[in-house]
Amino acid sequence: MSSRAVRFSILGTTVIVMAVVAPFLPSKWMTTLTYAQIFAVYAMGWDILSGMTGQISFGHIFFVAVAGYTTGLLNLYVKWPIWATIPLGVMMAVLAGLLFSVPALRLRGPYFSLITLILPLAAARLVIILADWTGGELGKFGVAALCPFPDFKANQYCNYYSLWGVMTGVGLFLVWLSTSRVGKILEAIRENEEAVEAAGINTAKYKIFAFAVSACVVGLGGAFSVHANEAIFFNSLMSLTTSLEMIVASVIGGMGIIVGALWGGFLVRGGEQVIRELAQLKLPIGTEGLALSFLERWATLIFFTLLIILLFFARQGLLPLLAGLFRRRRGEVRGG
Amino acid sequence: MALLHVENLRKSFGGLMAVKDLSFHVEPGEIVGLIGPNGAGKSTVFNLIMGILKPDRGQIFFKGQEITHWPTYKIVNAGIARVFQIAQYFPRKTVYENVEISAIPNEIFTRAPDPTPKTLQSCERTGLCEHSSHENHCICREELPGMLPQGGLRRLELARAIGTDPELLLLDEPFAGLSPAEVDEISHLIASLRNEGQTIVLVDHNMRGVMRLVDRIVVLCFGEKIAEGTPEEVARNPQVQEAYLAGGGF
Ligand SMILES: Nc1ncnc2c1ncn2[C@@H]1O[C@H](COP(=O)(O)OP(=O)(O)OP(=O)(O)O)[C@@H](O)[C@H]1O
Ligand SMILES: [Mg+2]
Repeated sequence: MSSRAVRFSILGTTVIVMAVVAPFLPSKWMTTLTYAQIFAVYAMGWDILSGMTGQISFGHIFFVAVAGYTTGLLNLYVKWPIWATIPLGVMMAVLAGLLFSVPALRLRGPYFSLITLILPLAAARLVIILADWTGGELGKFGVAALCPFPDFKANQYCNYYSLWGVMTGVGLFLVWLSTSRVGKILEAIRENEEAVEAAGINTAKYKIFAFAVSACVVGLGGAFSVHANEAIFFNSLMSLTTSLEMIVASVIGGMGIIVGALWGGFLVRGGEQVIRELAQLKLPIGTEGLALSFLERWATLIFFTLLIILLFFARQGLLPLLAGLFRRRRGEVRGG
Repeated sequence: MALLHVENLRKSFGGLMAVKDLSFHVEPGEIVGLIGPNGAGKSTVFNLIMGILKPDRGQIFFKGQEITHWPTYKIVNAGIARVFQIAQYFPRKTVYENVEISAIPNEIFTRAPDPTPKTLQSCERTGLCEHSSHENHCICREELPGMLPQGGLRRLELARAIGTDPELLLLDEPFAGLSPAEVDEISHLIASLRNEGQTIVLVDHNMRGVMRLVDRIVVLCFGEKIAEGTPEEVARNPQVQEAYLAGGGF
């Protein structure tokens, strides 16, 4: 799991499968997977900081919001094109990440986690206070679209493959980084920070760097999501659930290995969709209206229960579990 | 000029004076033993030198430069490395990967050379190579540190320290918890480092273990230096004998 080649092959296989299956997907699934790709970007971005260094952030949705609101509002009011506003949004997220990380990384363990949780709460307040301008909890429509095709189907494909490109680029960069010298240091910080200092490494510098990269990646996902939606959705850019789901995705897939977060991201978003569809299948005719939302709510609960059971049996995450099984099989062959 | 010079160093924890106005120096190429009974303040002195604890007063000079308030990583890069009393390693990294961390420079954006040769060299100098019949160069062990015996862990600690290219090596009780055979092994290893010209400060409870290794001894008792000199001089010193009788072991 630690080798660069293994991680690149898992990443490569995954993105190739994602590229190939798209034309065979039902429309609903195509939409689900379009957004699952953004979510996978969030999860991988979370993983490079929190998964690798062990500094668990609860509030990474904050960087989604900073980049998303920056690009959306600049596009809406100043009328700048998205190729200018998306990079600006990402830069704002990095800047916010840097400013925040310097004091926050002095804190350890639960203190750090709690302080990160305050960020998105404060940001949500600010957006509501400035509702005249930001649209508050209702959000804003009319943001420039990522894909300007008049045809719905063409647009759907364009969105899917654009976000596929973002996910693939982010995945390649993060897998490379996580297995580089920097990645090795970040992992070592998680295991024993004092021993890393004793090796002559300024751990604060490395953690701040990881924070900036993490904010950049998550911000990139957030900025693209606004233009894929053609709207600023308060509920999605400020969702604490999404913030926590990034952690769930990374833990389920396997923390600190990037490809674990990628798989976890698809598992969480894909799993939610599967359960939702199953719930709809069982609907008695004539009661759709009421029962639907009721069942959907249960579906989420059932889904999270399944995730908890999965975590119970694969504490180190799915990918390391599979890798372990694979190694054991090979070991047996060699031994016998 | 002394390689390390400690001047009137003082550190207290609440009411307890752990290090009291301590001064000593270490010359290049020398092996100095820092001995004293339990709780004498030996580890605290190392923590002060390494910047892990801040002194209440006093100064520390390394190669003529004051390093008193430097952060740990900067002190390490200046050329001091320390082996902890309690092993400090990366439990989920292999022996090779553990040693590699010390060979990686403190630069994020760097074109510094591949850390592999340096890592292998540290493994070789501390005897952490995999024995393989058809290859004559060192391959670092690939097992996790938890699989190593106590002596192997001590070697790993030494390899991690040596990997930072120290001019001064601080060893905190390198023989503690080892079997007699392992004590011999590690003694040989330290002697071989000394023969390569490595300057070392060696902490131990008693003189017996370090007599044959050191050039000079500094004796600490309740944070104060009570004697200093060659092993023979120190062994004859009545104050030292008294301290150890009171402390319960020499
Ligand atoms: N961080 C700390 N906080 C409070 N007291 C401390 C701290 N570190 C050390 N002490 C106290 O300072 C005194 C000196 O401790 P130190 O560990 O330096 O002794 P030592 O000579 O290394 O002993 P040993 O041989 O047991 O390792 C002891 O009384 C110890 O309890
Ligand atoms: Mg001690």
